[in-house]
Amino acid sequence: MGDNSQNQKVIVYEPELCTGCRHCEIVCAFKHYSSVDLNKSYISILFNGDEGTGAFEAVNCQHCEEPICVNACPSGALGKDEGTGWVTVNPLKCIGCQMCVYMCPLSVPFFDEERKAAAKCDFCGGDPECVKHCSPAALRVVTREEALQLNKRLYLGIR
Amino acid sequence: MITNDIRIFRFDASSCNGCDIEVLAILTLGLPLDELGVKIVDTPQEANTLVITGGVNIKSEPELEEIYELIEPPRRVIAIGSCAATMGIFKGSYSMIGPIDEIVPVDLYIMGCPPRPQVIAGALADALGLDIEGMESLLETPEGFRAEPVVSSIKCIGCAACMHSCPAGAIEIDNTGADRVVKFTHKDCIFCATCEEVCPSEAVELTYKDKSWFEDKEAAISEATVELKKCLLCGLPFVSSRQIDWAMKKIEEKLRIPKEAHDRLLWSSSICTDCRRKGINEVKEAKKTLASIAIRTQ
Repeated sequence: MGDNSQNQKVIVYEPELCTGCRHCEIVCAFKHYSSVDLNKSYISILFNGDEGTGAFEAVNCQHCEEPICVNACPSGALGKDEGTGWVTVNPLKCIGCQMCVYMCPLSVPFFDEERKAAAKCDFCGGDPECVKHCSPAALRVVTREEALQLNKRLYLGIR
Repeated sequence: MITNDIRIFRFDASSCNGCDIEVLAILTLGLPLDELGVKIVDTPQEANTLVITGGVNIKSEPELEEIYELIEPPRRVIAIGSCAATMGIFKGSYSMIGPIDEIVPVDLYIMGCPPRPQVIAGALADALGLDIEGMESLLETPEGFRAEPVVSSIKCIGCAACMHSCPAGAIEIDNTGADRVVKFTHKDCIFCATCEEVCPSEAVELTYKDKSWFEDKEAAISEATVELKKCLLCGLPFVSSRQIDWAMKKIEEKLRIPKEAHDRLLWSSSICTDCRRKGINEVKEAKKTLASIAIRTQ
């Protein structure tokens, strides 16, 4: 990867800060679908209801450096912008095979039955609504370098 | 069999005229219709064969019933085109009553939107017991023309891209049981070739070199069966296993993933999308997979 990639911006989520207000889901669904149907949101917050630990986790696009979804897409509908690093889907090119839905470990892209195309986080063109409306700042826009350090700590246990 | 006494009455139930033009084009094939005893008649009373194009709408319904009654038995009804079989693109329109067989019994369906004149001639000849020389070569789909889609059971990966792209709704996916059945129904097909275009595994081909007329419209199908993969956590079938294999192969070709991340990816692709988001532990595991792939690129 080029030097540029480390300065790209990505969204990170810190479960310790999240209050579970789900404001991010509402604003995301409203921005992209003009609806408050949370199934249409590109981000979703999960609660650990059964254990009652009060822990949260978000299903949000990591805008991976080498995206699984882009490499699995047979029609070239999913692409990664060289400059900004955003992974977006072009619904006009999408053929509805759902490779991305099944191959992404998080299943971030979902199949939008109405538009007959895959849909996923598009970074809101550089100013993500979810980040703007996250009052405890659990969702933040940071550089890829910082995001990697954070994800290493959170998910791989490396400090 | 009524040989050499074929009196055809043609009725346009509500066709767009595409099929009618193709029926007219039969004359250009140079078939010796007179010698074969085929006549096109002007009134239903003289006819013994009713050829219908288009679906039935509010206005044509009483007329169709009347015409059918006026033709003396034994009579034969031949429905030409997708609209006559299923209402085609007019499905759901406020004025439509239904396909032909909801009003009168149909003996033969000729599939297409519209069917080629050669196919109509061949179907009529077959149904009416005519023996036309050189019919076989006429029926072959010429280069650059399209006919019904045929799906290869070997190549199909069962991803359902064709179903989602089909503008005519001619492709059905049946997930009942342990298998997924991808069914191309010819009665609705408009030969647009979108399925051929989108198919990632090139399993669909639109050159059909067989008879495309059927006595039973439901039997006019081409289908492929693929095995469904069961979710490792909940045990329910959720996706075609060939699709996952196909995607995995594609990813392996393009990305060099370390062994551990590769194993994690294989594991996550064996879990249904509901189970992937069942709880925070599952999501943590998935994020761990993505993080371990990201580390390699450092």
